[in-house]
Amino acid sequence: MPCILALIIFGILGIFSASHRALAKEAFSCVFRRITFRPCNTGFQEKIKGKILSKLIARSTFLAKMVNKHYEILSWIFFILMIGSAIWVIRGGYNFYVYGSCNGLNASGFCAFDPSGENNKVTPLGDGSSCGITQKTEKTVTLNNIDLSSFPTQDIKSKDTVVFIGCYACDYSRKAYPDIQKLIKNKEANYVFAHYPAKGDTTFLADIGYCVYKDYQDKYWDFNNYLFTADKNFVLNKLNANKILESFNFDVKKINECANSAKTKKAVENQVKELNKTNIYGTPTIFINDKAFVGPKPYRVYRSAINKFIFF
Amino acid sequence: MLNTDKIRADFNILTQKDGKTPIYFDSACMSLKPNKVVEAMNDYYFNYPACAGRSSHKLGDKVTKKVKETRQLIAKFINANNENEIIFTRNTTEGINLLANSLGLRKGDIVLISNKEHNSNLIPWLLLRDKIGIAVKIIPANKDDSFNLNNFSELINGVKLVSIVHTSNLDGVTNPAKEIIEIAHKNNALVFLDAAQGIPHKKIDVQDLNVDFLAFSGHKMFGPTGTGVFYGKYKLLEKLEPFIVGGDTVEFSTYEDYKFLPIPEKFEAGLQDYAGIIGLGEAVKYLSQFDFNDIAEHELKLNAYITTELQKIPQIKIIGPEDAKDRTGIINFYIDGADMHKFAIMLDEMANISIRSGQHCVHSWFNSKKIFNSARVSLFLYNTMEEAETFITNLNKIIKIL
Repeated sequence: MPCILALIIFGILGIFSASHRALAKEAFSCVFRRITFRPCNTGFQEKIKGKILSKLIARSTFLAKMVNKHYEILSWIFFILMIGSAIWVIRGGYNFYVYGSCNGLNASGFCAFDPSGENNKVTPLGDGSSCGITQKTEKTVTLNNIDLSSFPTQDIKSKDTVVFIGCYACDYSRKAYPDIQKLIKNKEANYVFAHYPAKGDTTFLADIGYCVYKDYQDKYWDFNNYLFTADKNFVLNKLNANKILESFNFDVKKINECANSAKTKKAVENQVKELNKTNIYGTPTIFINDKAFVGPKPYRVYRSAINKFIFF
Repeated sequence: MLNTDKIRADFNILTQKDGKTPIYFDSACMSLKPNKVVEAMNDYYFNYPACAGRSSHKLGDKVTKKVKETRQLIAKFINANNENEIIFTRNTTEGINLLANSLGLRKGDIVLISNKEHNSNLIPWLLLRDKIGIAVKIIPANKDDSFNLNNFSELINGVKLVSIVHTSNLDGVTNPAKEIIEIAHKNNALVFLDAAQGIPHKKIDVQDLNVDFLAFSGHKMFGPTGTGVFYGKYKLLEKLEPFIVGGDTVEFSTYEDYKFLPIPEKFEAGLQDYAGIIGLGEAVKYLSQFDFNDIAEHELKLNAYITTELQKIPQIKIIGPEDAKDRTGIINFYIDGADMHKFAIMLDEMANISIRSGQHCVHSWFNSKKIFNSARVSLFLYNTMEEAETFITNLNKIIKIL
């Protein structure tokens, strides 16, 4: 057993160190002999044991004696712990690849691959504080029984559908936005966009967006693209709204009348109510075929979801 | 009496100032090298790295002269009748193989060996047994594994060659070579002595012993690795066929014929290890300055102390005779059921003590006794009582955790 343990440990260390590579070779020879039902005659086990005991004996004779006596059992314990932790690391690596977090989908615990938790930071709803500073309790975020018919939609009859719930004012939504555009383009997926005014006063953009989609469906997606990619301070300033509309050759008066109408206000309010039913707790929240990804994930995560790399 | 402080100053490795000076107890495997030996080899490589015996320039002449000097030194060292009886080899093993392949043994010839021969003095004979059908017989030893002359006398009749170790690397016991040779010669058997372990520690006089063939290595007697000597009585060497032939072994050759050079050249094929031979000469000079009685006395003092201390530890069993005086500088011990590699590694890690663990190339003996392995302390003139005490202190620590 110590041979197997040593082979794995020295095998890993051997990637970086030539001296450990030699030990790994010895360990391999020992393991090979053992699995072919021959005794390990390389003296490798005793070599490692001797090195460990000589370090321990300098500190405590009793400890050295115990380790010497229970060496095989201790080796087994360490082997099991190592296998357990190896499985844990592999699981973490898998989760990080497909979810952007070692701990699983939208899980916010510490992840060595993403130590600052960038992939899980969201703009929390309701407190109006700055983007991505706090994280709320994870909930079951779902699209079940949600009516998305009133939201801007690109239905190209694909089997895959991406729903992007973001906020124009949120840095993390803006960060995720280009990846989502790339995803729907490359994977030819249906696309639904919903603006959720998570931060600051961005309801006016929701109203305008609602009216633009209603009257200028063919130009809506360029307009929406502009709101996510242009200078944030410019876009979020109400005084610039007309300039933006003008730049797209929209009928500014008509759009303003529509946006300020009670009907539009009610419709946008209903949209937010509908979005709240998803248990959304922050933006961006992206649904890919009903699976929710909260926070700006790396592009590979979105791609994996469509490619069905997600097994768990 | 030896002045160990002065001796230790001759060895670079024993004068380390960083506290990492090894306690070197593995001289039976390889002795340390005096600075003079290393310097002599460096001198060759730096100042006259030429061929001996074939080039007529000044550098070549110097190498030829140095090689001849070494041959003369060795001849004098073992009291050979003349320097041409000294053949340079790579080591004892090569010497034994030279003999085995040159003696002209035939099917049915008997080679007699002891029960604790090094693989080098076992495998060549077993190979000949398998290849041409010689018979290899083992002389049963006494209970303490010392040589049994009676058993030997009973087996000697009809034997072609007695090939026997002079001093065993297993237990340090020196065989009664003179008596063995006398008995063998009375029965028309030739005698070969494996003197690898004996020559650094005991005076060996080949004429006094009247031994027919003898081989030893340079690396156990302060010399460089890859150097060795095969000695044979001149008249017997003349009868041997060369083992390896080629460059520097022939006086002339045509496409049809050749004529060998005289002894020793006909046995020294190809370009020799001149640096090694020159270093070996320096090693012989170094060793010759000491009285072998002083060396034996020094080693016995340390051996007796270590033996006494080991005998206080009930688990430890010493291989060979109990009395240290019968084991020169070797203390080989084991513990039933314990892997002695661990001891060697721990002593090395704990106190920089270098001892040998394993079966010491005498697998046949270990297998016959069903002993897994042993740890061997082998002493030489540079070891001190302080080192022996440190060894015992650390060994006792290890024993406590068993």
